[in-house]
Amino acid sequence: MTLLLDVQHLSHEFSGYKALDDVSFSVKKGEIVGIIGRSGAGKSTLLRCLCALERPQQGSILLNDIDLTKQNETSLTQIRRQIGLVFQHFNLLTSRSVAGNITLPLQIAGWPITKQKERVEELLRLVGLEGFGDKYPSQLSGGQKQRVGIARALAASPSLLLCDEATSALDPEATTSILNLLTDINQTLGLTIILITHEMDVIRRFAQHVLVMDHGRLVENGTFLDLLCKNRDGGPLQALLTECSPQLPPEFYKSLQPQPAPGLMSVLRLVLNDQATRRPLFSQMAELFQVETILLQGGITSLDNKMAGDMIIALKGERLFEAQAFLALKVQHMEAMGYVPADS
Amino acid sequence: MSRQILDVILNATLQTLEMVFASTALAVLFGLPLALFLITTGPKGLYRLPFIPRLVGIIIDALRAVPFIILLVLLIPVTRFIAGTSLGTEAAIVPLSIAAIPYFARLAEVAIRDVDPGLIEAVRAMGGSRLTIMRCVMIPEALPGLIGSLTVTLITLVGASAMAGTIGAGGLGDLAIRYGYQRFNTTIMLWVVAVLIVMVCLIQLVGSIMTRWARR
Repeated sequence: MTLLLDVQHLSHEFSGYKALDDVSFSVKKGEIVGIIGRSGAGKSTLLRCLCALERPQQGSILLNDIDLTKQNETSLTQIRRQIGLVFQHFNLLTSRSVAGNITLPLQIAGWPITKQKERVEELLRLVGLEGFGDKYPSQLSGGQKQRVGIARALAASPSLLLCDEATSALDPEATTSILNLLTDINQTLGLTIILITHEMDVIRRFAQHVLVMDHGRLVENGTFLDLLCKNRDGGPLQALLTECSPQLPPEFYKSLQPQPAPGLMSVLRLVLNDQATRRPLFSQMAELFQVETILLQGGITSLDNKMAGDMIIALKGERLFEAQAFLALKVQHMEAMGYVPADS
Repeated sequence: MSRQILDVILNATLQTLEMVFASTALAVLFGLPLALFLITTGPKGLYRLPFIPRLVGIIIDALRAVPFIILLVLLIPVTRFIAGTSLGTEAAIVPLSIAAIPYFARLAEVAIRDVDPGLIEAVRAMGGSRLTIMRCVMIPEALPGLIGSLTVTLITLVGASAMAGTIGAGGLGDLAIRYGYQRFNTTIMLWVVAVLIVMVCLIQLVGSIMTRWARR
């Protein structure tokens, strides 16, 4: 697949504070990329650089092989028309109707009026708001406003859609419907989407490619499964994954011991890929090593249309080490967390 | 009340309306661009300029600092230069406008600054030119506030036009002073006050309705 966006060694400082520190990554055409980080991690600065609203002090941003950092203001205005932007707080003009809002990018791009009308109808149908053209933003719900925001961002047929916390101001139901809409758009139009968020759950459900930012640096770059397979040891990843990855129940955590001893169960965190989830791992293990498996937390979920397992289990039996060695070969990632008494 | 008095009051009312509306029109014509200039050339504006916006701001505030009655006298040569005379309703439009322009400019500036910066950013990110941002975002989004500013300016000018009466501008203020005060004609004085109250209430009512319409 061809590259749409290639970011190299991007750095940007605000009065001595490094908002971006040597960030490099690339995005293929048609990908859905999630950029996640806590507030202050540099996500917004990165986004502003990507949509050519901020000029980075160092590094290059190649969009369709054009370096945004080397353009003058006039050509940047042209380039911005190729990038759709969806905002957390929608940013719809209250003085214009839904149709008026969607028309604005077309007016800016200089489309003839008859074509503008056709395009607006087409977009309203695409985002599921047929017949809403004459309403005003104040008459719409949050989810509907965001649909208008998406229609507006798509109006001038951009080659890249940037979503800045597009679902963070919405309730769970609207979040799901907006994410489904974006996924549809990605599939039907083949549009590349970059979603910036602080919610790992949105990333888990939506992004094929995840970038994790912390203190202006890019600390992880891969699939969500890759992230799950990383050791967390208190880093930024642990904080971000708390909500959507199983955690050891507190009562187990308290009785956790570092050394094995007779009568203790081994506690393991496992990450399984699609293949591994389809195998009868635990019954094989029981048969081979007479080890019982207790599921403490987590289970199997679907990630990017594939199955994935993310769980914490306890193993009980005599031949724990053999069983662990067996598991380590079969799963994507295994982390020994410690030992707990069998009766707890 | 005699027919004669009614005529006098009607005539004065028309003169006041002429002064108020003509000078408000000029205030919007010059004040709105001035407000846009202050915002777009100021810090974080679309056309940042050093020191000039601050200088313009100082001139505006200086004009607003001078009490209107004194400005009226100070501006007599200017009035004579522009209108050819310093007497009469038309001549009074000159000092009234000069007082109203900075007044409206500051009110409009506040209204436009109230526009959500996210909207300006959104249109900038769409590739909108600075002119588009002013035409499609700043002015339409600030419209409810601008109509409110217009209403306040109109009502302030009703009061100011009465003061202009003292230098021979005619109108209701002039009538109240000459007939009501200097000739002890309380009836006329009360009639003038009643007309002024009705005028101000009507302007406010229309202004409020239009603001609500613009707010959607």
